[in-house]
Amino acid sequence: MIDKNYAHPEVLVSTEWVAEHLADPCLRLVESNEDILLYDTGHIQGAVHIDWRSDLQDQMIRDYITPEKFASLCERHGISNDTTVVFYGDKSNWWACYALWAFRLFGHTKVMVMDGGREKWVAEGRHLTRAVPHFQSGTYLPATHRKDDEIRAFFDQTLTHSKENKPLIDVRSPGEFRGELTHMPEYPQEGVLRGGHIPGAASVPWKMAVNDDATFKSAEDLRRIYEQEAGLRPGDDVIAYCRIGERSSHTWFVLTYLLGYKNVRNYDGSWTEWGNRVGAPIERN
Amino acid sequence: MESQYPEPLTRIICLFEGLSDAEKRESLISYADSASKQAPRSGETFDLEDIRKDEECTDTVGVYLKISPTRACTFRITLGPQVQTLTKAMTSILCKGLDGASPEQILDIPADFVPKIVGADLVRQRSQTVYYILTRMKSASRVWLNRERAATHH
Repeated sequence: MIDKNYAHPEVLVSTEWVAEHLADPCLRLVESNEDILLYDTGHIQGAVHIDWRSDLQDQMIRDYITPEKFASLCERHGISNDTTVVFYGDKSNWWACYALWAFRLFGHTKVMVMDGGREKWVAEGRHLTRAVPHFQSGTYLPATHRKDDEIRAFFDQTLTHSKENKPLIDVRSPGEFRGELTHMPEYPQEGVLRGGHIPGAASVPWKMAVNDDATFKSAEDLRRIYEQEAGLRPGDDVIAYCRIGERSSHTWFVLTYLLGYKNVRNYDGSWTEWGNRVGAPIERN
Repeated sequence: MESQYPEPLTRIICLFEGLSDAEKRESLISYADSASKQAPRSGETFDLEDIRKDEECTDTVGVYLKISPTRACTFRITLGPQVQTLTKAMTSILCKGLDGASPEQILDIPADFVPKIVGADLVRQRSQTVYYILTRMKSASRVWLNRERAATHH
């Protein structure tokens, strides 16, 4: 476990800890990446691959899969309701945090993140394998409903939040926040009509929360960034957003687990919905 | 109907079209593994070198173009470490598939072969840089043709 004075140090484990627990039958390692073929090029021994789009999202509606399909996904990967799932991946754990957030949507509480993600594991010269593990099927009782009302925000809720001047955190790059870019730096255009941000949002790019080696900053540093500089206060009702909800799930993880905020929601519709939505107000500054 | 693609690329497309999704992934990984072999080799010289970091790609890409007296192109490519696996695979595929094509042929190649090779499921949001290498090769060919045209007029 890693303890940099985090509110929930039990959710963050080091690469060394993971290396020592590869054979633990109560754990399942899940790799989740932006690079769709990265897992196939090599992964941590025993890790299964869960794809943010094909596994977790409904392919015909812009939404997540049903609790029944989620239970089936888990069982295929040998995950039961009481399995502790350790997430890691590329891009400083963007997609690992997104997958973790989705697991929490379905009520799975035993979740962890490997600090530093895939980059740190590789940088340390640790072993990767191309062997895909096969586990005995898990036993997963589906949740009665997704926890959309607890950790997920929709357009109407976010609009109300904005109108009531409640805390909104825009985790995109400064250029996207100011409306100068309609795509992420280093990425092609992803189909957004307008640049800008949700009225009243504070700009705190997700990257502020990580060190150069992709590990999370200490709680003291995080409090300085989110509380002293961005003005959040413990107990605030916060909504975070980005373009499609992956970078903001990283910030959701930071606020929820590392700083201990109890009311944080991820607006996964994010700018690809807000920026295109008829009637949605924006700010540019 | 005559193929719109150079012969080596047509052969690669036909090979991929006959593969299952799992076999496609394996082949793409194999091509990605050989991406580093597409870099310039010791002693090679080029007619055009274009090394840059663009906004729409995650890392620096270097394109090196050599054109023979018979107008046959040879490409060499260098990739930064942050480039996605699919983009690495497409680098190897294009260096092999476009080898010997003329600059005019390269400019005329439609990008619709990409889903045929990669499969529609893998061409999606956040994997669009799979098209980037072809764009850069076309850009290098266009620059070379413009230089040739300018030299002719002088």
